[in-house]
Amino acid sequence: MIDKLGRPVRDARVGVEGGDKQVKTDRGGRFKLSAPKGATLVIEHDGLEVGLAVVTGAILDDIVLLDVDETLETIEIHGEAPVDAPGAAVIDRGELQRVPGTGGDIVKALTVMPGVVNLQIPLGYSGVVIRGSSPQDSKVLVDDFEIPVLFHNIGFRAVLPAESIATLEYIPGGFDVSYGRASSGIVELTTRPGDEKRSEQAEISVIDGGLLVQGAFGKKSRYMFGLRRSTIDLVLPSIIPASVDLSLTTVPSYYDEQFRIDTELSDKWKLAISSVGTIDTFELYATKDTDAATKRFYNRTAFARLTGAAKYHDGDWNANVALSAILPQFIFELGLFQRIEVTQPAVTPRVEVIDTRKTYAGLSNVEWKFGAEAQVGREIVDLALPRERREGEPMGAIDPKDVTQTFHGSFWLPDFAQWMSVAANLDPKIRVTAGLRADETVHNEEYALQPRGKLEYKISSTLTARLSSGAFRRPPEFQSETLNKNLDSERSTQNIAGLQYEPREGTRIQASTYYTDRSHLITTQMDGTTANTGRGRTVGAELLATYRGGPWFGWLSYSYSHSTRIDHPGDAERLFTFDQPHSMNAAVSWKSGRWQLGGRFQLYSGLPYTPAKGAVFDNDRNLYIPIYADPNSARAPMHHQLDLRVDYSWKWGPTALTAFVDVQNVYMNDSVVTYFYSYDYTQQAAFKSLPIIPSIGLRGIL
Amino acid sequence: MTRKLQAVRAAILLAVLGACAGDIDPQWQLDHDRIIAVRATPPHLAAAGDTAQLDLLVGHKGAMTTEQPPDATTVVSPMSLAGAVSGATVTAPSDAQLAAARTELKLADGAPVPLTIGVLSGEFAAVKTVWLGEPGDNPVLAEVMVGGVPPGTELVVPADLDVHLSVTADDSTEIVNWLTSCGTMHDFDLHAAYLHVLPADPQEGELALVLRDATGGVTWQTWPIHAE
Repeated sequence: MIDKLGRPVRDARVGVEGGDKQVKTDRGGRFKLSAPKGATLVIEHDGLEVGLAVVTGAILDDIVLLDVDETLETIEIHGEAPVDAPGAAVIDRGELQRVPGTGGDIVKALTVMPGVVNLQIPLGYSGVVIRGSSPQDSKVLVDDFEIPVLFHNIGFRAVLPAESIATLEYIPGGFDVSYGRASSGIVELTTRPGDEKRSEQAEISVIDGGLLVQGAFGKKSRYMFGLRRSTIDLVLPSIIPASVDLSLTTVPSYYDEQFRIDTELSDKWKLAISSVGTIDTFELYATKDTDAATKRFYNRTAFARLTGAAKYHDGDWNANVALSAILPQFIFELGLFQRIEVTQPAVTPRVEVIDTRKTYAGLSNVEWKFGAEAQVGREIVDLALPRERREGEPMGAIDPKDVTQTFHGSFWLPDFAQWMSVAANLDPKIRVTAGLRADETVHNEEYALQPRGKLEYKISSTLTARLSSGAFRRPPEFQSETLNKNLDSERSTQNIAGLQYEPREGTRIQASTYYTDRSHLITTQMDGTTANTGRGRTVGAELLATYRGGPWFGWLSYSYSHSTRIDHPGDAERLFTFDQPHSMNAAVSWKSGRWQLGGRFQLYSGLPYTPAKGAVFDNDRNLYIPIYADPNSARAPMHHQLDLRVDYSWKWGPTALTAFVDVQNVYMNDSVVTYFYSYDYTQQAAFKSLPIIPSIGLRGIL
Repeated sequence: MTRKLQAVRAAILLAVLGACAGDIDPQWQLDHDRIIAVRATPPHLAAAGDTAQLDLLVGHKGAMTTEQPPDATTVVSPMSLAGAVSGATVTAPSDAQLAAARTELKLADGAPVPLTIGVLSGEFAAVKTVWLGEPGDNPVLAEVMVGGVPPGTELVVPADLDVHLSVTADDSTEIVNWLTSCGTMHDFDLHAAYLHVLPADPQEGELALVLRDATGGVTWQTWPIHAE
């Protein structure tokens, strides 16, 4: 709840229209109240006009209470997508920045979520691994549309800073039919609308520095612009010892940008235009001799996504109409022979219409939703690489001349989706949702129907049970899967049961169990081709307890997961590469006056790996062909660490300054991340986590 | 396909990890048990009945390298030529046997036939290809320079200075390996490398140069070396 100047309104009384119960907003203007979707909230505060808001989801954004003499202005309400899948959670910007050990970064904040695979350094992937599957099985969305990479090559920082997002929504499974193309979970980031009050903000740390400007223009428009650049590359050359055989001809660096413009077109239409983008580049020679082309590495990862989204609201009807375009580019060159360059521009129009009725055919709080999406992309590929590894396959011999897999050309990738769902209360305690999603991927001529359903039972005013079941598909679009038209989507069937307990305002405990059956997993065949011969399953349980009260913010999450697969009929069952049986996070933060203090303890299982038993020397290629034990038959040891964070804020003239120190792994537990082998596989070495990672930064807001 | 090119990122990371590994021997380290190279002399056999001899350059932990015949050999491929190897001797088969081998390997008529031979030396295994049906010799080390001068039979190099090493070779088609048990080798797999013997390094040992051409030819030379 905010006033016309964007300041939080404390002690405003909020109640459901027609009901007796009222709650008060806290010092941040927040409130928590149980109310059915579609209900009208009445907000009262002395000296301010009465406000009204319709409950469209679990979170309502920025309800503006105007002065009594300004009642002719419109109250602004934004509804966010509902977060009601069992085990799902939402964390907003303020909370994200309070979690110690994250450095205020989205990627690290994700690791506090139950079900997210935790690793000291996310080696070899650029997404999020949920419930023991693979990174490609989950999607990361920004303003409803997918982004191709989540974090930068160096520093493992998210491609958009926490300052530029409003919320992070985590749905580990059982997601709504409006989400698709994923067989595990969804991470949805919503960019931050600009505040009505103009401000400029700068932040710098040893990893990167950024600027953010926001404010309003006119009475109905707001803006937010953000730009960030790595700083670690400025010091990197000076900390590399002169004795190392390395020439950084292009020092690893990154830039990212975010902007969002919100404007009210009319009483019924609102328009938001947003963009996120990033460029990561490096070029190095593994020698001092920069003429030695055989020792050259070059990588450039870039994308820019631009989205225009219009929201319509009129009585019972809501509609979202969006058009998004993305231009991603990935270039990697290794030595003289191996290279890949992929450019995949795509345009995605999307429409969703929601009709809500208080009653219909004897049901109450009825919500009918239907939508459609078309993603039309063109993939331009120049590829000369060794045969790629699939999930669980260990590294083969590293041969710089191996270009077993080659392709040069381009092709269209048109995909279409339609979905429809109906949700209704059968009685005040029972709510049922049933939906159907249809996906058509044209390049492999596949049409897939995915039914999904959910049952919610309110056992008491504080306890809610949820059951969810559904079918999900992940199209063959990972790595070189698009080059094989015979591949089908990987499939999963998810069954989830959860309980949510909210004994008092600010306290929430969620527990869930799940069983995921996976089929049509894409695996390598004897002849080196790929086919959908794999099966797998994951069972697990998760717990998430959060507390928000006064100066305290607490977080406790634990997950148990067991994730196995069979690559070919008749093969032995093995672990998924990201199977992590135990993961626990406990965090607490205290904020008072100028100080904010926090600590976080993590404990999680090491990941499986495949030990090498020996190797055969291939004399003519001068390399060793490894002989491995059974896939993922060994496991790295358990890791634990303690992180601490201190923030101190003060005013310097008109500028509000915050200095922070975020220290990860304070007792310097350098546990093993993974193992690797000598060139001839006779020696094994552990790659250990960095013993201590301090992050020091300064943020200023003008 | 642009989405999440994990495999490529993994390759980069593992390359970086490998570069940072302090607990394992680098590939240029001669003070390490292994088969360093397998040589067939000659590596190509043109006519039926021609023979080649196999010998190995073997590295030993705490000792100098040795040149020795393999402990055991066997034909790995094609199986129709299983009798072409006996001990350290490879004998070119008859034209009829070669034709059968081409059929087994789905090669064109007259194409050279790769005979892949497995060799054992102690606990170590290696494979080496001898080409049948065409002539060819092992490469010759040319213009080898150590510290700017041609090497003699025993090398003396300055301590704590870069000692430049070079041989005539094309890095894009040939494989050069400079190996040592004395000092630290830089750019060991380029035709122009350099050796630096730090005070903490072993001050004496051995230097080896191995050259492999693009058609299976191998040659090597070793020198005792010490720094002062």
